[in-house]
Amino acid sequence: MTGSDSVTRILFEAFSANEVRLFYALSLAASTVFCYGVYVQIRKYRRGAPYRPEGSLLARIAGMFGSVFSHRTLDRRDPAAGGAHRLIFYGFTLLFIGTATITLQYDILEPLFGIRFWHGTFYLAFSLVLDLAGVALLAGLGYMMYRRAWLKPPKLDYARPDRAPGDPDFDRSAYRIEDWAFLWTLLIIGATGYFLEAARLVWLEAEPEVWDTRWWSPIGAAIAGSLRALGMSAAAGGQLRHGLWWFHGIIALVLIALIPYTKVKHMFTAAGSLLVRDPLAAQRLPRIPESQARPGFAKITDFNWKQLLNLDACTKCGRCHEACPARAVGAPLSPRDVILSLREFANQALEYGSVPDAVELDVHGKAPGQVAMETLWSCRTCMACVEICPVAVEHVPIIVQMRRKLVEDGAMDPLLTKTLQTIHKTGNSFGESKRKRGAWTKPLPFKVKDARKEPVDVLWFVGDYASFDPRNQKVSQTLAALLTEAGVDFGILYDGESNAGNDVRRVGEEGLYEVLASANITALQAASFKSVITTDPHSYNTIRNEYPDFGGRFAIEHYTTLLSRLFASGALAASTPLHYRVTFHDPCHLGRFNQGYDAPRELLTLLGCELVEMGRCKANSFCCGAGGGRIWTPDPAGTETPAQNRIREAAAIPDLQVYVVSCPKDLTMFEDALKTTGNEGRFVVKELIELVREAVPAGRPAKREVITA
Amino acid sequence: MVAVKQVATLDEDFEIRADGRDIDPDFLIRDLNEWDDFSLEEAVKIKEGSTQPVEVIAVSVGPDDVDESLRKCLAKGADRALRVWDDAIEGSDSIAIARILAAVARRESPDLLFAGVQSSDQAHASTGIATAGFLGWPHAAVVAHLTYAPGASTAAFRRELEGGVLQEGQIECPAVLTIQAGINTPRYASLRSIKQAAAKSIAVLSLEDLGLTPADVGEAGSSSHVRRMYVPDKGRAELIVGDAAEQARQLAAIIREFKGAAP
Repeated sequence: MTGSDSVTRILFEAFSANEVRLFYALSLAASTVFCYGVYVQIRKYRRGAPYRPEGSLLARIAGMFGSVFSHRTLDRRDPAAGGAHRLIFYGFTLLFIGTATITLQYDILEPLFGIRFWHGTFYLAFSLVLDLAGVALLAGLGYMMYRRAWLKPPKLDYARPDRAPGDPDFDRSAYRIEDWAFLWTLLIIGATGYFLEAARLVWLEAEPEVWDTRWWSPIGAAIAGSLRALGMSAAAGGQLRHGLWWFHGIIALVLIALIPYTKVKHMFTAAGSLLVRDPLAAQRLPRIPESQARPGFAKITDFNWKQLLNLDACTKCGRCHEACPARAVGAPLSPRDVILSLREFANQALEYGSVPDAVELDVHGKAPGQVAMETLWSCRTCMACVEICPVAVEHVPIIVQMRRKLVEDGAMDPLLTKTLQTIHKTGNSFGESKRKRGAWTKPLPFKVKDARKEPVDVLWFVGDYASFDPRNQKVSQTLAALLTEAGVDFGILYDGESNAGNDVRRVGEEGLYEVLASANITALQAASFKSVITTDPHSYNTIRNEYPDFGGRFAIEHYTTLLSRLFASGALAASTPLHYRVTFHDPCHLGRFNQGYDAPRELLTLLGCELVEMGRCKANSFCCGAGGGRIWTPDPAGTETPAQNRIREAAAIPDLQVYVVSCPKDLTMFEDALKTTGNEGRFVVKELIELVREAVPAGRPAKREVITA
Repeated sequence: MVAVKQVATLDEDFEIRADGRDIDPDFLIRDLNEWDDFSLEEAVKIKEGSTQPVEVIAVSVGPDDVDESLRKCLAKGADRALRVWDDAIEGSDSIAIARILAAVARRESPDLLFAGVQSSDQAHASTGIATAGFLGWPHAAVVAHLTYAPGASTAAFRRELEGGVLQEGQIECPAVLTIQAGINTPRYASLRSIKQAAAKSIAVLSLEDLGLTPADVGEAGSSSHVRRMYVPDKGRAELIVGDAAEQARQLAAIIREFKGAAP
């Protein structure tokens, strides 16, 4: 019997011809409204600058579907929300496919080709699957409601750190209303679907094809049973079914019509955003095309279409808001609010028939939708926001592009202006003479090779802090000694080296970056070496990811991987296990930017340290606050700095002895924060190199090894 | 017209030139004079605040490496840059330089001529004033505030005097004003704007162009001459520590040492 033609679901039965016409008319209207909305959105994106995503389209499509179907990015740091969204996503998708299947047969295949398949076993299985999909949808929605109403995680609080209460765009109540309306709409559609099904069963209880197969839709059948128990007659069931049919149908059509106008559009914009994700968005910033008269973003139309799409992809999940170190210490910046502000601005400016005058497209300032310079300068370009965004919103390039405009206008902290001028004049941020760059090698009992004059295996790109900062000079000297003892043939560029430019570029001074990068590339290309090492993750990032855009392709590694290999090959050997209880701070540019998570940890284990991880580690490491040129501008007095916040996190580890860093700027920032938080004496901040020195007795005869990568 | 100078700062471990009269140029780092940043900014501000067309001309005297500073001026908003050079100019003092600048001013006939109060390397504070002397124009030195509408016959200024006293006055144009640091906030010239300024040409004028002869400039045209340049011997300082008796004992020892008496 289940193979029978008559086992299927009625659609318009007992509807008058006019009613059916009305339904089709409404469907058409909803589709028209939907299509117009899609057109407006696409027109908005097309008003942005051109952009061509890199890499193969197929790989990007695969990546997008991989992320969407696995919900990989949604599970991160909030598995409960990820799980609930997965239930909603799969529930909704299956129900949508179900409805589309009915349309496929009823409106396309059957009238055109006479093909019918939606009956019998297929229909019953379909019925069961959809009933379960509905459970998933409602369960997911239920959790989301519970989360918003009772759990109230801080990241879902839309209060803005960059606006004060009373400012015209401080109030985010419209967003909250929209969030709840979306949840309720889906909930009502799901619930009425079940009641509609139950009412139909009650109405058709006399038909064995319907009634005897009712348990293939178990929820509907259970509700039908209850309705009958409550005394509902078949006729009453018919009436209820008629009313609910229209109610359910109209809400569903309204939802479809509103997709492009509401947050519901994230179904498409988030997928689109994932499709054009740039895996090196923060690591490799865009160059300024020669043809572009003014650098950076001044107007909303300077954003490319992908960035405008990014703005619409944001679902206000708050993960970036939670991860942002500037926000954590009360700076007037939340990556989420930058994106939402710009989205509101884009909607206001670009969704109408014509694009307004340039003046009205200016995204800089304090008016609603604009981004204030204080906000832009608060960013440390640590990439925490980009890394955690589940829908591939890329905040950092947007912020840097907007800073480029500020730099061009000179709208920055006077100290930063001074530093940039100093770097231009002397090639380093310390304002020291170029000649002194190699001066840290003078106290060493051996001569460090001048890689400009003789070939070396390994060229050590030292960087500003490791060259000029007295505390870091000691670390550089220690590493030089270790490398020499390990028999590594290395040299440095002495005054041929300039600031690598990583942070200059992230400040937004692209012209100066170009000068620095080409000077270094010329110096590196003139030297003879097999590979480059550096202790500075900032230099490491820009040489690795950005110099290739300027014609400089060099094999570069951070010293941690080199030391790791030297231990593995026996060129270095730890004789005394240190037995320290340590924690390790992942530098943004080594960890999050370049996935250098393992080598430092391997070294710590090898040295006999007990590693206790902080809560925020690896990809979620918390920035020291020095990135993006912020090391050159002091943090406002009286507020907590990111470094202090971090040291307090470490201080909560019982019996911690050493806070280990592997970045010159980290050493500076955290030694300072250790003192200012009053933790001096409780534990110490050390460079990993210093721990290696402690464990490896000095002056071991060198065992020459081939160590280049 | 804004007269600017490319000044030199000493690098670490500098050496004196073989003739003992200047620093070995290898040890000098060159940059635009700090005061000139302010005088140029003041001129560009007047230009930007004006409804009628105003031209800002940056002028400097020096060899071709001075173009770098002039390009910075162009990047910050100067419309035109002029550089005067002839090998005979080498060795000019501030008066000879002023003679050259006056010749340029006669050629360009600006409404106002700005110069920095002084240069950070030589610090004579005389070039601007001497230029006014050669031109026979009125001048005001150490101007800390200026109100001027392009085309107006006078400019209102405020000067800084010793002891924190200010002097307000009016000056007839054309005039020479030497501008004090702090009169405004000089803008940042991004490297990109400096690069773009490289496309603008810098006109180079010879002595002939200005109707001057080698006798007007260089050592010959200068009224002062450098005899020698040197680093004075460093004095000595010593902190005496300990109780009163100990301090007295040490002090006595030092006095004895200076007197050359036996300890």
